[in-house]
Amino acid sequence: MSDLGTFTGTSHYIAAPELMQAVNVAMELEKPLLIKGEPGTGKTMLADAIHEATGMRLLVWNIKSTTKAQDGLYVYDTIQRLYDSQFGEEGVDDIAHYIKLGKLGEAFQSEEPVILLIDEIDKADLEFPNDLLWELDKMEFYIHETKETIKAVKRPVVIITSNAEKELPDAFLRRCIFHYIDFPDREQMAEIVNAHFEHLDEHLLKQAMDTFYWLRELKDIRKKPSTSELIDWLRALQLGGIEPERIRKEMPLLGVLLKKDEDMDVVKQRRLD
Amino acid sequence: MFLSFFYLLRNQGIDVSVTEWLTLMEALDKGLCHGSFTEFYYLCRMTLVNRESDFDKFDLAFSEYFQGIRHTEEIPPEILKWLDKGEMDTTDLNREMYRFEQHRDSNTVKRMFRERVTEQNSEHNGGNYWIGTSGGSAFGHSGRNPGGIRIGGVPGMHTAFSVMGERKYQSFRNDRALSMRQFQVAFRRLRQYSARLDVERTELDIDKTVDSTCKQGGYLKLEFDRPRKNTVKLLLLFDCGGTMYPFMELCNQLFQAVHKANHFKDVQTYYFHNCIYQKVYKTPECEYGDWVDLEYLFRNYDKDYKVIIVGDAQMAPEELLDINGNYRGPNGGRSGYEWCQMLENKYKKVVWLNPRYHGRLTGLSWMESEHRLSELFHMYLLSVDGLKEAISYLMAPR
Repeated sequence: MSDLGTFTGTSHYIAAPELMQAVNVAMELEKPLLIKGEPGTGKTMLADAIHEATGMRLLVWNIKSTTKAQDGLYVYDTIQRLYDSQFGEEGVDDIAHYIKLGKLGEAFQSEEPVILLIDEIDKADLEFPNDLLWELDKMEFYIHETKETIKAVKRPVVIITSNAEKELPDAFLRRCIFHYIDFPDREQMAEIVNAHFEHLDEHLLKQAMDTFYWLRELKDIRKKPSTSELIDWLRALQLGGIEPERIRKEMPLLGVLLKKDEDMDVVKQRRLD
Repeated sequence: MFLSFFYLLRNQGIDVSVTEWLTLMEALDKGLCHGSFTEFYYLCRMTLVNRESDFDKFDLAFSEYFQGIRHTEEIPPEILKWLDKGEMDTTDLNREMYRFEQHRDSNTVKRMFRERVTEQNSEHNGGNYWIGTSGGSAFGHSGRNPGGIRIGGVPGMHTAFSVMGERKYQSFRNDRALSMRQFQVAFRRLRQYSARLDVERTELDIDKTVDSTCKQGGYLKLEFDRPRKNTVKLLLLFDCGGTMYPFMELCNQLFQAVHKANHFKDVQTYYFHNCIYQKVYKTPECEYGDWVDLEYLFRNYDKDYKVIIVGDAQMAPEELLDINGNYRGPNGGRSGYEWCQMLENKYKKVVWLNPRYHGRLTGLSWMESEHRLSELFHMYLLSVDGLKEAISYLMAPR
């Protein structure tokens, strides 16, 4: 795997050295990399960045509350087959025709090594990760209908993200390389922000960052603003042509940063204090 | 291979398995720490620890082990070979050392630092200063050259010790006697299915399909039915009185577990302070005025709601029994006990989860309130087992 080179971040994605190390270790050991962290710390973007850095194809499997492990492997479209059989459609006698591979299946079948992002695994049912243990370990699964084993041609790089909404099962955790992305400090944040903007007034950035970190420090804030919200805010401030001096005092366009009414009230109160 | 580190971690309560240990061994074998002590630290952490709440424990164990507290580990030459990559950069080392010391003791550090630097330069080549006091190498006692460990090898990296010194994962630490997951699993039993009327028909009804298809002389007709939904509705009442502070984390986990279970038809949460009176609060802060009438609950949430009260029942007897027992809000002409009785009468199933529950122990005067309440309600210890028992009572038909 080392021929894929080492991941060192990209021009748009600023990764902490320990994160880069985690990516490289996971790739080298051929184990899934589990990334946890606050929303907006760039968990999902990591896969994009690896895709960009290594040129490997990226497959994204977005997990929802209704997603089942089976969906990632394959789906046998029985209903379509039933209906087709009524009209004697061609190919109806071939089960394989009605087997649709899921994202995991797709990743296994790919001739080229791919990156498989299993995004927000904690959104799914509690047992979901356990249902994937074998498949992620052995990198293969069996299609009962066609008596066929789908085995990874090239082991995909598996990146799993979690918002820590639900605790993941131990058996699953044991198989992963784990990394927790810390919320970026000011220095890192400046770097991240600058990677997103071509020209950003330094004064504006400083004022905005002061306000941003001040807000995050407030205890009563229920939903702390995250990196992506800061970037949106900066963009809004820039587009609105807002004077940097006004930012700290007036906190314009605060709705971009804070999404809850309660949080807005908290800020209003604090400002009065 | 430094197996005792494995056991140290386990003793510290980090549940490291052999699989994970072997993963680390494999990684070391492949040279994935690149001879850097910092990378070695992260490598250990990413392979052995799998939740951020254990980072702090890990940091402590790591520094205990690798700072050379008098352990008598066998350090096999292979490991030193992996780590032994060239000369140690002492400038880096000194800087890192300074940083680390700074975190540990910011007052005397400057003076100490100067002393150490001089000392360091002379003793370092001898190979037994940097890590620890035992005069051993970086890996304990064995007296090998610590030059084997290159610190700050990659520019811009924090060294392991300076990172550890920050102990920034302390706040994640929670010595969970119970994990939220266990609560969640327990809550899964709390379901009662029925086909509801107001959802889309998405599930294939095999029997009906066979029937309809037959009726049409074999011409296929698929029939769908509504998916079964959990009909359980929950009313949660949390005690937020002062005596509950030690159990805040526990209650929080329970609360989270309920909300993340998301298979309930409805979950309503209210709070009370010490005891339930005429009003219950809308937020855990229990601010004066931020409340609703208990009778509002009675009106709006029907008797089929399953009620879970979480509290330690540590109110003074007069707070429970006196009609002026509530010093924070209105009593409504009734004692706390009477309000509790009304609650018990209204709802079919009510349980009380008590983090301090003393069980059948009776007769102690300071436990009078708990005793009275446990006679009134089905009271269980707030633990995974207690919750399971409580839930099986809630689900029992009668």
